[in-house]
Amino acid sequence: MTRIETDVLVVGGGPAGLSAALAAAGAGAKVDLVDAGMQPGGQYWMQDPVGSPTTRQQAEGAAAARAAIAANVAVHSGAEVWGAFPEREILANGPNGPLAFHYRALIVASGAHDRAMPFPGWTLPGVMTPGAGQRLAKLGGVAPGRRIALAGNGPFLYAVASTLRAINATPVLLVEAGKARCGPARLISRHPARWAETMKLLAAARAIFDRRRGYVVSEALGGDRIEAVRIAPIGHDGAIDAARAETIPDIDALLIGWGFRPMIELTALLRCRHAYDRDLGGWYCSVAPETGRTSVPGVYAAGEVTGIAGAVPAQLSGELAGIAAAADLGLAVTDNANRRAQLARRLHDARAFGEAIGRLYPAPETLTSLVRNDTVVCRCEEVTKGDITAALSGGTKGVAGAKLWTRAGMGRCQGRICGFAVAEIAAAATATSPEAAGFNPPRIPLRPVPLDVVLAATGGDK
Amino acid sequence: MVKRADVIVVGAGVVGAAIAALLGRRGRRVLVIEQGVPGGAVSGASLACIGTHMMDEEELPLLAWCCNVWAELNRRAPRFEYQRCGQLRFLKHEGERRSAEAWIDIERAAGLRPEMLDPEAVRRIEPVLTGPIVAATWSPDSAVVNPFLAVRTLMDAARAGAGEILSGAMATALVTRGGRIAGVETSVGRFEASIVVIAGGPWTQNLAATADVELPIVPRKAQCLATVGTDPVIRTVVGACKAEGGVDAGYTQIQQAASGQVLFNTVLEGGVTAMGSPDVLPEVDRTFVHDSVATLLYLFPGLAQLELLRSWVRYEAVTPDDRFLTGPAGPDGLFIAAGDGGTGFVRSFGMARIIADRIDGRLPPFRDDIYEVGRFAAKAAA
Repeated sequence: MTRIETDVLVVGGGPAGLSAALAAAGAGAKVDLVDAGMQPGGQYWMQDPVGSPTTRQQAEGAAAARAAIAANVAVHSGAEVWGAFPEREILANGPNGPLAFHYRALIVASGAHDRAMPFPGWTLPGVMTPGAGQRLAKLGGVAPGRRIALAGNGPFLYAVASTLRAINATPVLLVEAGKARCGPARLISRHPARWAETMKLLAAARAIFDRRRGYVVSEALGGDRIEAVRIAPIGHDGAIDAARAETIPDIDALLIGWGFRPMIELTALLRCRHAYDRDLGGWYCSVAPETGRTSVPGVYAAGEVTGIAGAVPAQLSGELAGIAAAADLGLAVTDNANRRAQLARRLHDARAFGEAIGRLYPAPETLTSLVRNDTVVCRCEEVTKGDITAALSGGTKGVAGAKLWTRAGMGRCQGRICGFAVAEIAAAATATSPEAAGFNPPRIPLRPVPLDVVLAATGGDK
Repeated sequence: MVKRADVIVVGAGVVGAAIAALLGRRGRRVLVIEQGVPGGAVSGASLACIGTHMMDEEELPLLAWCCNVWAELNRRAPRFEYQRCGQLRFLKHEGERRSAEAWIDIERAAGLRPEMLDPEAVRRIEPVLTGPIVAATWSPDSAVVNPFLAVRTLMDAARAGAGEILSGAMATALVTRGGRIAGVETSVGRFEASIVVIAGGPWTQNLAATADVELPIVPRKAQCLATVGTDPVIRTVVGACKAEGGVDAGYTQIQQAASGQVLFNTVLEGGVTAMGSPDVLPEVDRTFVHDSVATLLYLFPGLAQLELLRSWVRYEAVTPDDRFLTGPAGPDGLFIAAGDGGTGFVRSFGMARIIADRIDGRLPPFRDDIYEVGRFAAKAAA
């Protein structure tokens, strides 16, 4: 096992993490960055594992990683953080064995993952999240299918459309829950810096032949894999009108998702305070925006884990957290006050924009009505919606109660995939809010780890 | 939701659930008040072994009776993964043999069937237990249940008997009127009943104190680990031999659940913890994780590549003599059933029987003086 003593440990190598690491190192801190990816960049700046950067986004990420490394940030790629113990210790499992970090300050920039809601047919091969489709396209230039449907809500769908268009795999169908409105246009018009990106994304969306607004995919049809989708309109009352559903044939891949959920496992394990906002992805880690300080001394958070708002605020919040962590350790930061005030202003604007986007594209609250009693909700443990509602009508409550009596969320992914759905189903079944339904508290290990690795990582000076 | 019930049971762990189920069967309208979710605290976090082996000599008749009730419940409602898999208690050193043999003598005298096995015989029962042990005791009648589903089965039985469960309601104070129990004040309002049973594990003493009933219950930290599910490898419940000094000397239990997950439970040496600890569930500590994994791999070296999935901490309710406090206490109409000492599952039916019989003015089919709630106060006065 490798023991590493450091001033600032950054968890996550996306825009927030790389910016945080660079800022802290620039202030003179010894910085280590641990990231699960094989190369730094995260989801947004995902690098091609073999080739050199082909897009502007990839080039930005490669430059950020180079800058961090040039500033003497020690980057530990391919290492998954699985444990945290008092005395400021973080354990990770890397390609060359277990790593134990002892830090003075910790910056959690763990990012986000896709937010999925089950529906009939969602377990068919060929159905995946937009994020998964994006990774396929970014990592190997592989198209998820030949006749691709893209569905859900939010501008990330356009980003995926743009990525797919770049590899000549433009989707044939776009199904958006949001109805045509002038809200997004009004918001964008006030942010000229976003115009170029918006035009590119809209062009990718417009290249899709069949575009539906105010619709959701109500079912995926097929035998061995997806062959068609059923789409249903959303009525004025928000209810999904299954009676008016229609079938769109000849679909061999469906990329469907409802935005992102902040990855709060580590901050929750560290007992940082969290808050809930459905439009920001659900549960997120609460921070002081100008410093990234969480409720736990020495622990900072930046980027999507503090609420979904996109890559621009992620970078800014990372830089602020890096500066604050170094300053709190007593390290000098040149032109500290000015720089921080300026960054904080920019972060405020960027977050406002990102949050406004989130509120313009909410996940419909009626989505659970698509889930049938025999639809599998928890794939790890094969738990259906009927299992969950039966448990709740038997006197138990919330995500925790459903888990104990049905095993939903007890499997390998520990509720990362089904957590959103279980909370929404529990809320609907017991006439409460998804927030009141709670979440599955993360425990050690945050990811499955072989026992011999655990033994090596926890031994030594006890 | 009823505002009145015949009996209010505070706590929906296995003890509260067993009491509610039995009272319901005897025609009482029961309201169970649970601060979290049923089976969500001590019960759900335990490994739910049902057996008589190396437990307590004085309690053997009750324990044997309890084991039969569990088997009977499984015949009527086979929904909680009951498995009579037997139990091995391994000896790492010759020095443990004398104590183990003494337990075997006691239990055989009571008509039970434990025996001492050499390592070869152990491996016929548990082939993957290839680590260096000198012997193991074998109790073929021990069983395990799924703790969540067992509580659910009992709760279903209670509801079938006109019982109700209120999850997420914290009982904050006992209500008395003219020296009698009149109900319970909760975070969601007052509920009335002339009989209240507190089966609140390590929270029991706090609620009892609101009616000036002092209970010598302290919380003790126990920690558990679970691996991902795997093919069936471990067949029995494997534990360390009960050593001199009881569980304070440390306790280990390893088994494989019906889900395929390998579970292990350790109570640390001298693990009595500060009051209030059960309200701030911490993470497992590093020493515990290391020692538990080391013990598991010492016994089962073939599992080194198996992945750890989850860990958790629970607080058992411990009394000075490791026995329950069960029976009437304080104002008329108040009953206590708490003090699991980490083995609440097997004892739950016995405690339920004592409570139900005492409420009905009957004598239980086994001695219950050893559980008397006031026994330590009486001793102190004498």
